[in-house]
Amino acid sequence: MPDTKELSDKEIIEKIRNSDQELYAVIIDRYQKKLIRYAYNLTKDNDKAADIVQESFIKAYINLNSFNIEKNFSSWIYRIVHNQAINITKKYQKETPLLENWDFKSEDDIEGDFGEKEIKENVEGCLKEISLLYSEPLSLYYIDEKSYEEISDILRIPMGTVATRINRAKKLMKKICQKN
Amino acid sequence: MSEELKNVTENVMNQIHQGKIKMKPKIYFIIGSILTFLGTASAFIVSMFLVGLIRFSLRPRLGPGAQYKLEQMLANFPWWIIIFTLVSLTIGIWLIRKYDFSYKTKPWIVVLAFILVIVIAGWTVDMVGLNDTLLRRGPMKEMMNGYFKTNNPLQQLPINNN
Repeated sequence: MPDTKELSDKEIIEKIRNSDQELYAVIIDRYQKKLIRYAYNLTKDNDKAADIVQESFIKAYINLNSFNIEKNFSSWIYRIVHNQAINITKKYQKETPLLENWDFKSEDDIEGDFGEKEIKENVEGCLKEISLLYSEPLSLYYIDEKSYEEISDILRIPMGTVATRINRAKKLMKKICQKN
Repeated sequence: MSEELKNVTENVMNQIHQGKIKMKPKIYFIIGSILTFLGTASAFIVSMFLVGLIRFSLRPRLGPGAQYKLEQMLANFPWWIIIFTLVSLTIGIWLIRKYDFSYKTKPWIVVLAFILVIVIAGWTVDMVGLNDTLLRRGPMKEMMNGYFKTNNPLQQLPINNN
C-alpha cells in the first residue's frame, strides 16, 4: 500500500468513499492550515476561522458523494469554507463597504511599484484594511497561490472579474500600505 | 494555531468515529439531480406550450374555428405536469442547494437563459407548426382522436351527400 502522502486527493477521496474513513484525516491535515489562514483572512478572528474550517470539513464529509471526482477538490473545499465564512460574517459583522467605484489613475505603474515579492510580504498586513470584495481574491492569489481559474471556481465569478478585483486590490494595497 | 489544527482533525475524526456525522449516500444526490432535471424539462414543456398559446391568441386574424382550437389546446393539455414541475423543481433545488458547492454560474443568468430559450423555442414551435403536427401524429394522437369523437362539432352536422 503506497504512503498516503503520495496519494492524490482524487485517490484518497475514492478510498474514503469506499469505506476507508480514516483517510479523511489525511485530507484534513493536507488542507486545514491553508484553510484556517484563508478563513482568518475572511473573518479576522482565529477562533471563528478554526470553527469555520471544522464545520466545512464536516459538511464536506457529509456531502463527499456529491463531489465530482474529476474536478479539483481544493476548489471545492475552498468554496465550502468561503460559504461558511460568509454566513458567519453576515451573522457577526456589519457589512464592509464595497469599494467598486473607487477612482484610480490608470497610468499608475502598479506592477513596477509593487513587485510580486513585495506584495506577498505586505499582503497579510494590509489585507485587514481592504474590503472583502478585493482582499479575498488577492489573498487567494498571493497567499494561497491559486490560479485565476481556481479563484473563479471558488468565488463563482468570471476570470475577467477575478483579474479586475486583484488589480484593484493591488491599487488599494498601494494606497493603504504606503499610507501606513 | 497548531492547537487549533490538532483540534480540527480530532474533532472531525471523533465525530466520524462516533457516527455523529455520516456520508450521505450517492442515491440522495442522484435523486436531487434527476428531480431537478425532470422539473426543468417539464417546466420547459409547460412554458413552451404557454408561449405557443399566447402567440396563438395574439394573432390578429384568428380565422374560423379559432375558439374551438384554443379550447382544444387547453382541454387536452396534461395539467398535472405543472404540479409535477413545481414539486420536482422544489425538491430538486432544495436537495441540490444543500449539497452543491461547485457551480459558479450566477442563478439569475440561468433563469434569464432559461426564459430566453423557452420564449425562442415556443415561438419557433408555433411558427413551424410543430404543435399541430404533434397533436396529429405524436403521443397526443390517441387522446385527440377520443376528443374529436366526443367534442368535434363538425361531426355533429348532418352530412349532405348530394
